[in-house]
Amino acid sequence: MISIKGLHKRFGKLHVLKGIDAFIREQEVVVIIGPSGSGKSTLLRCINFLEEPSDGEIVVDGIPLSGEANINKVRTEVGMVFQRFNLFPHMTVQENITLAPLKVRNMSKAEADKVALDLLAKVGLSDKANAYPDQLSGGQQQRVAIARALAMRPKVMLFDEPTSALDPEMIKEVLDVMKTLANEGMTMVVVTHEMGFAREVGDRVIFMDEGRIVEEGTPEAFFTGAKEERTKAFLSKIL
Amino acid sequence: MNFNFDLVVRSFPLLLAGAVVTIKITLLSVGFGLIIGMFVGMAKLSKIRLVKVLATMYVDFIRGTPLLVQIFLIYFALPMVLGKRIDPFIAAITACSVNSGAYVAEIFRAGIQSIDKGQMEAGRSLGMSWAQTMRYIILPQAFKRIIPPLGNEFIAMLKDSSLVSVIGFEELTRRGQLIIARTYGSFEIWLTVAFIYLIMTFTISRLVDYLERRYKIDDKH
Repeated sequence: MISIKGLHKRFGKLHVLKGIDAFIREQEVVVIIGPSGSGKSTLLRCINFLEEPSDGEIVVDGIPLSGEANINKVRTEVGMVFQRFNLFPHMTVQENITLAPLKVRNMSKAEADKVALDLLAKVGLSDKANAYPDQLSGGQQQRVAIARALAMRPKVMLFDEPTSALDPEMIKEVLDVMKTLANEGMTMVVVTHEMGFAREVGDRVIFMDEGRIVEEGTPEAFFTGAKEERTKAFLSKIL
Repeated sequence: MNFNFDLVVRSFPLLLAGAVVTIKITLLSVGFGLIIGMFVGMAKLSKIRLVKVLATMYVDFIRGTPLLVQIFLIYFALPMVLGKRIDPFIAAITACSVNSGAYVAEIFRAGIQSIDKGQMEAGRSLGMSWAQTMRYIILPQAFKRIIPPLGNEFIAMLKDSSLVSVIGFEELTRRGQLIIARTYGSFEIWLTVAFIYLIMTFTISRLVDYLERRYKIDDKH
C-alpha cells in the first residue's frame, strides 16, 4: 500500500530523516513511536507530501509521489488526522465533513450530506452536525476530524499524535473510534505515545530515533523482547 | 472677521454633490483595490519566485511614492505613452485603485498569514488544491480578521481622494476650490469642506466598529 525507500528530509542544515525504508501493507495498522524530535511526525507528513522529501521515493497505492498533479491524487486516497484537529472554525461540523467530497470528489450535496451523517453516527456525534467546532470538546473535535478524513473514503489513514492535545478523559473516546476503524480493516499509520493502543491495536510497531528506524516488530515482540539498547532505554522510561 | 453663514448655506448643496463624487471615487477605488490587493496579497505569499518578486515590486513602488505623483504619472505621463488623453475620472479611479491595491495587498497578506497553517494543511491533506483551500478555508477566515484594517484603508482613501482635485476632477475638495475662486470665502468653505469629510470618516469608523463587534461575538462563524 505504501512503500518508502531511502527517504531523507532536511530542514536547512537539520537532517531530520536519515534514510527511511518502510513498507506498509494493506489493512495493516502500523504504530510509530519514538522520542520527540525523532522524525516520526515528519515521516508521516512526507507520506502525503505535507513535507517535501529531500531525497528518496514514496509510492502510495501504486502512485509514485512526484509533481503537483500526482500529489492531489494521492492525498484523496490518504486521510490525515492532526494533533491539533485543524477543523475549519467558520464551518459547521457537517460542512467541515462535506467540503472536500463536494469540491474534490464532485459528490452531490445530498450524497455528501448522507455520507457526513453516516460518519457522524459512526463516531457518535449525530447530534452535533450543526454545531461549530468551538462548541465541541477536544475529543469531539478530533472525532469530527476523523469523520472528515473518512468522508473522502481514503485507502489509508495517517494519525499524527491524535490524542496528544486532549485532556486525559477524552483520549479513550478517540482511541475507541480508531480501534473500530482498525477492526474494519482500514490501513492505518499512527504516530502516538499511547502504548496501550500500540499494544492492543497495532499489527506492527516501528521505533524511531534520530531520524532512523531503530527497530520494528509485532507489538508483543517489541514490548517484551526489544533487541536494541536504544529501544530498551526508551521503553524503560515510558512503561 | 465676519462668518458668512449665508455662503455656507448656499454652497452646501454643491459641496454635498462633491461629497457624493468623493464617496463614489472611494468606493470604486477601494473596491478595485480589494480585488487587486487580494490577488497581490496572495502573490506575495507565493512560492513561485517571479510572482512574489513582481508583487513585492508593485507594493514597494506604490507605498514608496506619493499618491500625488502617482496621479500625475497616470494623468500626464501615461498619455505620452498611449498617445491619447485620459479622462480625469478614469485617471483618478485608476490611480486610487492601483494605490489602494498595494495597501490592501499588505492587509490581505497579514490576514492570510494570521490564519493557523494547520488550516492550509488540513485542506491540502483532504486533496483540495491550493486555490480551493484558499477560497473556501483561508480567505473566509482571513476576511473577517481584516475588516478593521480595511475600514482604516477606506477612511484613508476617502481623505486621500482629495488629491485628485489637482487634475481638475470635481470631487469635494475641487468643488470647494471652485466656490472659493468665485466668492473668496476661504474660511467658510474650507471649514465646511473639512466638516463634511469629518462626518463621512466618522460615520465609516462607527460602521467598522459595529462590524468588528458583530464578528467578535460570533468570532469564528
